[in-house]
Amino acid sequence: MTSSLLHPPAHLPPNVALQLSQQAPTLLQSTPSAISPYSLSSLWSAAESAELWMTYENLMLSCLRTGDEQSAHQCLERLTARFGADNERLMALRGLFQEAVATDDAALKQVLEEYDTILKKDSSNIPITKRRIALLKSLKKTTEAITALNQFLDSSPSDAEAWAELADLYASQGMYPQSIFALEEVLLITPYAWNIHARLGEILYMAAISGEAGSEKYLAESIRRFCRSIELCDDYLRGYYGLKLTTARLLTGRSQPSRQAKSDSALATPDSKTLERLNETATAKLSEIVRRSVAGEAGWEGFTKSEVIAAKALLETDAVKISR
Amino acid sequence: MTWISKSVTGLGLLFLAHACYSAYEHSALHSTSTASLSSTAAHTAITSTSSSLPIDISIETLVAVFTVCLGLVLGTPELRPIQWRVWAGQIEREGEAGFTNIDGQVDKDYVGNPFRVLESRPGFVDIRKQRKEFAEWVREGGGIDEAKKS
Repeated sequence: MTSSLLHPPAHLPPNVALQLSQQAPTLLQSTPSAISPYSLSSLWSAAESAELWMTYENLMLSCLRTGDEQSAHQCLERLTARFGADNERLMALRGLFQEAVATDDAALKQVLEEYDTILKKDSSNIPITKRRIALLKSLKKTTEAITALNQFLDSSPSDAEAWAELADLYASQGMYPQSIFALEEVLLITPYAWNIHARLGEILYMAAISGEAGSEKYLAESIRRFCRSIELCDDYLRGYYGLKLTTARLLTGRSQPSRQAKSDSALATPDSKTLERLNETATAKLSEIVRRSVAGEAGWEGFTKSEVIAAKALLETDAVKISR
Repeated sequence: MTWISKSVTGLGLLFLAHACYSAYEHSALHSTSTASLSSTAAHTAITSTSSSLPIDISIETLVAVFTVCLGLVLGTPELRPIQWRVWAGQIEREGEAGFTNIDGQVDKDYVGNPFRVLESRPGFVDIRKQRKEFAEWVREGGGIDEAKKS
């Protein structure tokens, strides 16, 4: 279980977060509160390891999430004792702690002002810049957050995390073309990220169904993105789900009599036969994944439960349509 | 699987030790028997005969080395996939269960999908929203279920 303490816990479900934070008191007791650089025991064993500090950081995040502020503060103090209060990453962690314990908006404003004063002194402090943007977003000042994020990306354009955040912010505002652009930037930095390919496909699909101009072009591009995500990752549930949705939508759009003229772009939409075959493949794969995952076969337990349920629901609505 | 490799390696090591001991015994015996003859035999003849070992000891050494090699090869963990899509598919399909070793512990270098951080984004974490969601989850009785189970 400690292995999951070595990775950032933001994506974990609440029960795992609770489990992790419940380990905190024992873990904090079992490790020494201060590590002296010169001790007798350092002769035969490493006095400290990078894992220990990672554990502290992630433990602190889990504890803050579950409301165990005492343990979180203890983690923060130990990290501060080791790395000093003016470490950039620790400044961000301390800000995060203050954000979490803030009771009202006035306290949050104060935290925001603190970030501003830090950034005035040293504008290249990346963790604090990110925290400031996250706080702006948390305070529902989305436009300001987008502006700040764009400024940040001007100075460090190779930060994939920031581009992904920008894409999410744009998507939350319904600005799909900008969001697509930001995600394409992410893919320039990490071209093999299969989940980002799927995410881009989802945003393209959202752009297509939101009724913007050129929806067929968006759908065709979306199909390509989902296909790429499947190409990068065998049995990718999310990719097949998206592929099924997009091909089905494009096929129903095609069958209507008012057929659009072929787009004149270099990448034309695939013809109906290809679409049908893609749709069939996606359906077959999805039903296989759902069947094996629900049966709990060995080697098929990795899928998220909610995703499997969603895929099952999609297959069932499809089956109803056919039987009608 | 693992006990086979361990026993084969152990057997090989036993053979190797035996071969070494035989070689030592042979040379000791040879030197004492030749020492008494050293007055009559030429010095060059002694060195040439003492350097040659009986063929069975050589064969035993070779067999022992191959057995040890076989045992070690049998004991290697399963090879990781070298194709990107197979590797990624294994992560998505099997999750942590696919990367546990024999002791039931998850491999230390297992990170799951390495690109998940682009969607969870620890640098931009909204801790207040997470706290709110967690409190809601507890209010809905998620925590009680967990306590009953454990």
